[in-house]
Amino acid sequence: MILRKVIRLLVVLGVVTFLSYVMLNLLPGDPTVQILGMSATEEAREQLRQEMGLNSPLFVRYADWLGGVVTGDLGTSYITDIPVLEALVDRLPVTLELLVVAQVISLALAVPLAVAAARRAGGAIDQALTTLSFGMLSTPVFVLGVVLILVFAVHLRMLPATGWTPISVDPYWNFLSVLLPSITLAVGQLAVYSRLLRTDLIATLQEDYITLARARGLSPRRILWRHALRPSAISLITAIGLNLGGLIGGAVIIETLFGLPGIGRLIVDSIFARDYLTVQGGVVLISVGYVLVNFAVDLVYAAVDPRIRRA
Amino acid sequence: MLRVEDLVVEFPAGKGRRVHAVSGVSFDVARGETLGIVGESGCGKSTTARALMQLPAPLSGSIRLDGVEMTSLRGEKLRETRRRLQMIFQDPISSLNPRRKVRDIVAEGPRVWGEGADRVDEMLEAVGLDPVTAAGRRPHEFSGGQCQRICIARALVLRPEVVICDEPVSALDVSVQAQILGLLEDLKERYRLTLVFIAHDLAVVKNISDRVLVMYLGKICELAPGETLVNRPAHPYTRALLASIPGGRLALPPADQLIKGEPPSPVWPPSGCRFRTRCPKARARCAEEEPVVRPVADGQWVACHFPEIDGV
Amino acid sequence: MPRRLGWTFWLSAGWIGLLLLAAIFADLLPLPRYDETLAGAPQSGPSPAHPFGTDGLGRDMLSRVVYGARVSLGVGIGAVLLGLVIGAPFGLIAGYRRRAADAVIMAVNDIALAFPALVFALAVVAFAGAGLSNVLIVLGVLGVPAWTRLIRGATMAFAEREFVVAARALGARDSRILLREIVPNVALPASSYAFIGMAVAVVAEGGLAFLGLSVQAPTPTWGGLINEGRGIMETAPHIVLAPSFVMFLTVLSFNLVGDRLRALTDVRQSGLEPARPSAATPLPTGEHEVAGTLLQVADVRTHFETPRGTVRAVDGVSFTLERGRTLAVVGESGSGKSMLIRTILGLLPGAGAVSGGQVYLEGREIGDLAPAEKREILGTRFATVFQDPMTALNPVRTIGTQVMEPLRVHLGMDRKRARQEAVRLLASVGIPEPAQVLRRYPHQLSGGMRQRVTIAMALSCDPDVLFADEPTTALDVTIQDQVLRLIHRAREERDLAMILVSHDLAVVSQWADEVIVMYAGKVVERGPAAALFERTRMPYTEALLQAIPRLDDPSHHRLRVIEGRPPDPARLPPGCRFQPRCPYAGERCETEEPPLVRAETPDHLYACWFPVGTGAGIVEGTESRGR
Repeated sequence: MILRKVIRLLVVLGVVTFLSYVMLNLLPGDPTVQILGMSATEEAREQLRQEMGLNSPLFVRYADWLGGVVTGDLGTSYITDIPVLEALVDRLPVTLELLVVAQVISLALAVPLAVAAARRAGGAIDQALTTLSFGMLSTPVFVLGVVLILVFAVHLRMLPATGWTPISVDPYWNFLSVLLPSITLAVGQLAVYSRLLRTDLIATLQEDYITLARARGLSPRRILWRHALRPSAISLITAIGLNLGGLIGGAVIIETLFGLPGIGRLIVDSIFARDYLTVQGGVVLISVGYVLVNFAVDLVYAAVDPRIRRA
Repeated sequence: MLRVEDLVVEFPAGKGRRVHAVSGVSFDVARGETLGIVGESGCGKSTTARALMQLPAPLSGSIRLDGVEMTSLRGEKLRETRRRLQMIFQDPISSLNPRRKVRDIVAEGPRVWGEGADRVDEMLEAVGLDPVTAAGRRPHEFSGGQCQRICIARALVLRPEVVICDEPVSALDVSVQAQILGLLEDLKERYRLTLVFIAHDLAVVKNISDRVLVMYLGKICELAPGETLVNRPAHPYTRALLASIPGGRLALPPADQLIKGEPPSPVWPPSGCRFRTRCPKARARCAEEEPVVRPVADGQWVACHFPEIDGV
Repeated sequence: MPRRLGWTFWLSAGWIGLLLLAAIFADLLPLPRYDETLAGAPQSGPSPAHPFGTDGLGRDMLSRVVYGARVSLGVGIGAVLLGLVIGAPFGLIAGYRRRAADAVIMAVNDIALAFPALVFALAVVAFAGAGLSNVLIVLGVLGVPAWTRLIRGATMAFAEREFVVAARALGARDSRILLREIVPNVALPASSYAFIGMAVAVVAEGGLAFLGLSVQAPTPTWGGLINEGRGIMETAPHIVLAPSFVMFLTVLSFNLVGDRLRALTDVRQSGLEPARPSAATPLPTGEHEVAGTLLQVADVRTHFETPRGTVRAVDGVSFTLERGRTLAVVGESGSGKSMLIRTILGLLPGAGAVSGGQVYLEGREIGDLAPAEKREILGTRFATVFQDPMTALNPVRTIGTQVMEPLRVHLGMDRKRARQEAVRLLASVGIPEPAQVLRRYPHQLSGGMRQRVTIAMALSCDPDVLFADEPTTALDVTIQDQVLRLIHRAREERDLAMILVSHDLAVVSQWADEVIVMYAGKVVERGPAAALFERTRMPYTEALLQAIPRLDDPSHHRLRVIEGRPPDPARLPPGCRFQPRCPYAGERCETEEPPLVRAETPDHLYACWFPVGTGAGIVEGTESRGR
């Protein structure tokens, strides 16, 4: 069971990295121009191509690169001369912290809100949550981020507008610097999560076993949290899994907006600099992350819903 | 008219296991007859019905309609033969496309075959609906019983010879059930239909059928004329079924002495006789040797090593 | 379904339409050109001449926002259409064909989902050039997996429905089935998703533009405008806020339109409790004596306020019930029999229900009790078994947790004692290996076993009244017999009172002591089972008895047909509710509602002006009870 799953995920990883490798290499733009500048002679370029192995067939180059990846060598950037792995490891903590804090904020708010709304569907709390979540859902992160900076940093001067303090340097300032970006990221997710969970909870509350639990004289609080929440969580867990993949995208914009030195920023900069190897390394990192998250999600499914365990 | 031999249907059940839904079922249906098929959930009665339509086609076995082997037909030939058989389903609501008007639903058959829709009104009237008011409306505006009438009209508009009714009254209230049963009897006479009528309720099946086939876990237990089956049941399962019906027959011992436990999984059917795990009369032979279907009286066929020949 | 879309839909659609028109006809609008510098003073705030103010170069912001809408809407709509055109056919094929086609398409789809989408969008646009068509194509292609998934899901939901099988039986080809039967049904969820997809695409384009990777200057884009304004946010916030606000409204409108369209397919929702505490005064109760019997139900009513009028689901039902007796409530669907039980237990669905009448337990009114006290009675004195054992148990909790819960909550047992008690209970309802079953989940048990578990749970706190709502309807007849015997035995052993709700007169005749026949929310006949079945008075009861096929009738015996259908509960006929379908109905029946009157047998009541005299009689059934 688990073995089959792992093999499948490895295949997905292989295909994703191969396709991304091919695509990046097929895109227009000559790396030698980036390295040697516009004025270099054709001979010099040709020699560089030979050195970099750019003249061998795509398959061979991919195989070479993949061999490196397996041994932990993602290559060295032509542009910055920094090993790709080192650059990624350097930036990873920032993005991870951002994503984790954002997830924690959104889930910590979404679950109780959804439960409160579902308890009296159509009631005041529910309607307020629906209105609010549509508003949150419709605010692009860059709009929200700009507005938050305007309010909290520019006008109220409560929080730093941009910049990053690593947790090892100063935990308090680290917290302050991660707060605005993660709130910005969390708002959209909060809307998605709370709506998903609310809808599923309401569907669960129509089930006979809930009516029977009421008929057994159990309290509404117990029914909502112990009986209804777990069978309603499947869509939410799926969304978390899919989101974490998509979030890296959101992180690109947020890292740009708040000036955070994370993976997203690194990838954008590398794209502008035509730094293929670093971009490719970023793709590997994101794909591995996606695959790992999905693996975890499958395990969580089984823990949440025993019916999935045997399938 | 319709001859079924050694029908086998299996479904994959994951991990390489198979559900033995129907295992070697043979019967025939005479022209103008109503054959009832009765059994509990999972006995393969609905799967048999769908296999008759080749929806999906059975794994093996032969189904001949007037001597034409249907299982080997493909493409256009199959479409043409299939239209001679039509089907009515259990859930009348789910049987009708919610986005289409009643007229379009009933006229779909003729349209598929490039025929005129001139029979639509006639069919709606025949099933007791007013074509003027009903035809322009959509299914959700009708009650379950009326939806079943629309389904019957759709099935009959192509002038089929055999109509397979898969639990057509199970989802309906008693009073509506009586209406639909009466309607089916009327239409059968009027259009000289042959019916295969499937239900889990033995009293309903007996009411409408000439002969009744009792199935258990993908196999035939007993095949007999309705009266014989009810008055002189020979197979232990038939007897248990009859005794379980509330307000049923007093002459049988209580049901809890005739049947025990729960049906086994069709993924691992028992060896030999499939009913032996619940049968109070089961002996060693029942586990070793599969009983063949054999005649025990006039028109009464039973698959049991130790049938109750004297009836009750 | 003439469901209303609501004003939010029309308002949102109006905004999208307005914006679309403005974008298309931007050149004709009386606005300065978007690239005309110094149309006003640089960085000036909103004014009559420049409603959105001007930017750093004095360009009119309104004009720039309107021209920016061309890019945003163009990419939004174009990308969605592109994704739909590529994704929908794959989705249809995967959902309809299943098997190999499905496996291949979904495997490709999985890989596509694992692709870091935005990185690719960035890379492609950065390398291939930032222009409208590149952005549109990239976003469109990135949307394909989601479209495939959605269309596949919707198709699968319909491909197995009977109407598709019926179309194949009619001889329709696959192409015709897809076009006529499936596409119309998939269209609504697809159109809903299209609008939500447009919202996503507009945001994504904004994100690219914000990073400088969408259509290049001087053509304005919303994301680009926001990015430009960031630097001078402190001095001229309107440059950021104007495009932000328009973008927000637009995305919101797309989302709302999509959501309203989706809501068309939803069933009505209700939560655990009514949305608002019922403001309506309870329905009046007729005068009655409090008898002090175990259970007394006096003039119970439940009405629903619906757009079509008041639905009288339960309309004045009274009875008393003693220990050791089984009262059966029979009727067809819509007769109000299940609603009666839910009203007695206080488990009405939230929306629009108004109830009235009193329920007394040993002479004590339970309607007025505080919620906690009421729950105590529900948990310890009353017990409930429902129709479908497949849905009666929580699928994600073990049998043990569920059986032990009432013991721990209501009887305060500790875990160990509760476990012992649970094992004993399961054994008492005939479950083999109860200790192992405690660790199982509901899906691992058969229907019959599950119903035994729910019966064990119902009996766990030693109740006085057992409410069994169609307890065996979902079970096979051989299992039904076992379960009914079990319930009956439990009733005898524990001296319970039982209310058995059933549509099956045969079941009722075999197991009930007293019977209530309901029609359109009212009791039409009530009495001891033997008297009611042997000397039926109400024509409806008689007709019902004669409509049931019976084993001792000859084959092809014509059953009694009750013409017509039960009345619309929102538009009840005047007088007797059965009168339009009754063969004996006279003039009086159409004007005066018949009250419940006494028959010659004690305790036998009926509501009819022209009662029938002869019994229809399932006589042997009533005698065979408890055999």
